[in-house]
Amino acid sequence: MIRTPLRPLARILSARQKGENPDTIERENLRLRHEEIRDRGRARAEVRLLFLSLGFLAAFSTIGARMGLLAATEPVEPRSAAAGAQILATRADITDRNGRILATNMQTYALYAQPRDMVDPGRVARELAKIFPEIDPVAMERRLTDGRTFLWIRRVMSPEQMQRVHEIGDPGLLFGPREMRLYPNGQLAAHVLGGASFGAEGVSSAEVIGTAGIEKALDARLRDPAQAGTPLELSLDLTLQAAVEEILGTGMTMLNAKGAAAILMDVKTGEILSLASLPAFDPNDRPNPLVKGDPGDSPLFNRAVQGVYELGSTFKIFTVANAMNLGLVSPETMVDANAPRRWGKFTIKEFQNKNYGPLLSVENVIVKSSNVGTANIALMVGAERQAAFFQSLGFFDPTVIELVEAPGAKPIVPKRWPDITTITTSYGHGISASPMHLAVAYAAIANGGVKVTPTLLHGGVAQNGPRVMTAETAAASVRMLRGVVEHGTATLGDVPGYQVAGKTGTAEKPSRTGGYDEDKVVNTFASLFPADDPKYVLVVTLDEPVETSGSEPRRTAGWTAVPVAGEIIRRAAPLLGLRPVVEPPPVDGLTAVSN
Amino acid sequence: MSFLEYQVKTVPGGLRKVFYLNWPLVVLVAAVSSVGFLVLYSIAGGNLSVWAEPQMKRFGVGMVLMFAIAFVPIWFWRNMAGLAYGITILLLLAVEFFGVVGMGAQRWLDIGPLRLQPSELMKVTMVMMLAAYYDWLDLKKTSRPLWVLIPVLIILIPTFLVVIQPNLGTSLMLLMGGAAVMFAAGVSIWYFAAVAALVGGLVVAVFTTRGTPWQFLHDYQYRRIDTFLDPSADPLGAGYNIMQAKIALGSGGWGGKGFMQGTQSRLNFLPEKHTDFIFTTLGEEFGFVGAFSLLILYGLILFFCFTSALQNKDRFSQLLIIGLAANFFLYLAVNLSMVMGMAPVVGVPLPFLSYGGSVMLVLLIAFGLIQSAHVHRPR
Repeated sequence: MIRTPLRPLARILSARQKGENPDTIERENLRLRHEEIRDRGRARAEVRLLFLSLGFLAAFSTIGARMGLLAATEPVEPRSAAAGAQILATRADITDRNGRILATNMQTYALYAQPRDMVDPGRVARELAKIFPEIDPVAMERRLTDGRTFLWIRRVMSPEQMQRVHEIGDPGLLFGPREMRLYPNGQLAAHVLGGASFGAEGVSSAEVIGTAGIEKALDARLRDPAQAGTPLELSLDLTLQAAVEEILGTGMTMLNAKGAAAILMDVKTGEILSLASLPAFDPNDRPNPLVKGDPGDSPLFNRAVQGVYELGSTFKIFTVANAMNLGLVSPETMVDANAPRRWGKFTIKEFQNKNYGPLLSVENVIVKSSNVGTANIALMVGAERQAAFFQSLGFFDPTVIELVEAPGAKPIVPKRWPDITTITTSYGHGISASPMHLAVAYAAIANGGVKVTPTLLHGGVAQNGPRVMTAETAAASVRMLRGVVEHGTATLGDVPGYQVAGKTGTAEKPSRTGGYDEDKVVNTFASLFPADDPKYVLVVTLDEPVETSGSEPRRTAGWTAVPVAGEIIRRAAPLLGLRPVVEPPPVDGLTAVSN
Repeated sequence: MSFLEYQVKTVPGGLRKVFYLNWPLVVLVAAVSSVGFLVLYSIAGGNLSVWAEPQMKRFGVGMVLMFAIAFVPIWFWRNMAGLAYGITILLLLAVEFFGVVGMGAQRWLDIGPLRLQPSELMKVTMVMMLAAYYDWLDLKKTSRPLWVLIPVLIILIPTFLVVIQPNLGTSLMLLMGGAAVMFAAGVSIWYFAAVAALVGGLVVAVFTTRGTPWQFLHDYQYRRIDTFLDPSADPLGAGYNIMQAKIALGSGGWGGKGFMQGTQSRLNFLPEKHTDFIFTTLGEEFGFVGAFSLLILYGLILFFCFTSALQNKDRFSQLLIIGLAANFFLYLAVNLSMVMGMAPVVGVPLPFLSYGGSVMLVLLIAFGLIQSAHVHRPR
């Protein structure tokens, strides 16, 4: 800027010549200068103001345009594009026949780390060790700092633990949503349900796969997204199951048995209402299989389906039914029952070396459980027809039931059928089958002679399976079985009002040294009730029980499995809606007279 | 170079000042506030006592305050600028130590029945201080570095105090409001260009190094910035408000659903529906026509402020009006952009509409100062 000198000498001199005060000129100069600066400033301010207002106007236009744009658009609900929000098909619930939950899913979270994002791995490791006792802070810190980019820390955790991890506040700790299988009833029906675990795992989800029981057998159905909303309804009744497991457990403890199994089955539809195997386990926390020893001793072992035992005298009714069905005998036919009976180099004895001979009616062969009588009837039938009958009852094949364990439980059947095999199998020795096989065979007797296929799914209808015996034979067999309970080997199993019928079986276990072990027995009671119109079959099996209330330990089924079964029926029958048939008290001398 | 050089004699005195008030501005402020009462009444579901009535009371008190300030000569306010600025700084410090933590941020000072947000007051007193500074400063020195540094400090000190509260929205408004005053005062354009280049360069540097070993921030910090800048990426989390607001505005369409007929806002889809997001209810119920009318009212307020500033030959008055108007503009521009999804969500209320005491009072104080400058302008 070119400055105008305040006191230009020429102007001062000329002013003096005119007689004016140069100071006035100077003041005037100063004023003009100030005004000039002020005007420049104001002009500048006005230009700036214009710029500002232009900026504001632009912003206003943008906002107005945006308003119009928003007003013109159709509103769209937000759809999540973020990871982790993807909808996963969940595993279907499992319920009992009344819709009560047996297995469901719970939302939980897995914890993983991305060590690269971690601010302070040392602190994180220490804090994690405080929350999860199994974590070693030193090892964890090493794993967090060894350069890996990803690390699983926990598969599942409780909400409280998750909150505490959250409070660590490290950006390298992340949560992945998990669907966890939950069995709210704990050990109840554990062997039916089996269990589930995680299959392929990702950060945002993991697949849940069945590992045993019906969870594995029907895995595809449970995972089918189309049926995810429909629970899988089992034929089990939760209340019945609880009662059966409770009584069976008590009986097992009182009788010092190492295991027990019970099956309650509808004889017409084949529906399993209760299936119990003890000892049991918690499917929420499935134990590991035994590494050594007998897998049959593991709680995971399902004795009712997998356990293949010699079922003993319970088989006698099949022999007799077969003979009646073929028209060889009737309940009143007298058969030779002289004991002991020799066959080649073998001797057939009765229990405690008794002798029911010389002649015994067929009915009493069953009621008294005569080995010799049964053997003689079997010899009348012959090997071929006996094997065929056993096969028709299903004793030659694994049971068809919706458990992954079932196909593996093959019955042990004699390869050849010489006469001695015919004799031993007639009273249940030399042939092994599971309690489930036995329940199916007894159901055929109970329902009038039709073989049913057992099922664990609700909604079963009366089955039209192959007829294995005539209705008359079946009815006669039921009457004989009722006799066993009324005045035979199973009197402790009678439940007033419910007309229990059944047959006991005591089989010595094969010993490790060969032959049989007298002190180790498997007691079975196969029953059906009510005898006048059988609706249910109950099979109770106890493994190595011993009844010690008497002077000598008793190991026969009549003292072990039978009272347990009786107690189960006493509890179960009202739950099944059966009406007790109370016989009216006998009317003596006096007759009520009405005037 | 101040008003003292003008002829103060021409300034009206006593009650005659009433005739010299900028009445269009008073009417516009009252009109916008009335729209606010209407919307608050509607959001409360036709209940006056929930939000509308307290807001009306505050407006009444604020109007009295506005007129009182307008009647006091502007030179008194100029002389008070330094004191007001200093007191507000002290209040900000007090909030830091004794403040009430609300909504995850320290913002309030509880003084008896009054809840004071010093950061809101700061927007006014800082503008006063800057205007007084430039009024005092020789025009020739305006762009000299040392004389630029002083107003920069006047802006940065309160900005820093507000940022650590933490309140990002208000601190950004302080920065931009202060910059507007400096710009209007005639500070060389090169300073602004240099700052803009610096900030732009920093942003570019931060984002271009992303994914390289030299990146400035942690990965998770980048992700937070992503969500901050584009809330629609996380529609159920950070972006929830924005998505719902957009839906509300969209469902309003051109004519709106009608008074008291909004559903998005009334059915509690929207958090903060009566405060920062009040515009969505207006948009839903009165549609584009209603929303645009409000925008025009705001535009008229700014227009009258600017014409008043242009008429005013006093430098302090002029800068004060521009600064306060710029602040007012920032309020509504940031809020509307935020609600319509054009800007990140920062807690800035919509002037005269959002429910809240401090903001209403501070805005009316600001308009009282504008009126005072208008009444006492040199003629």
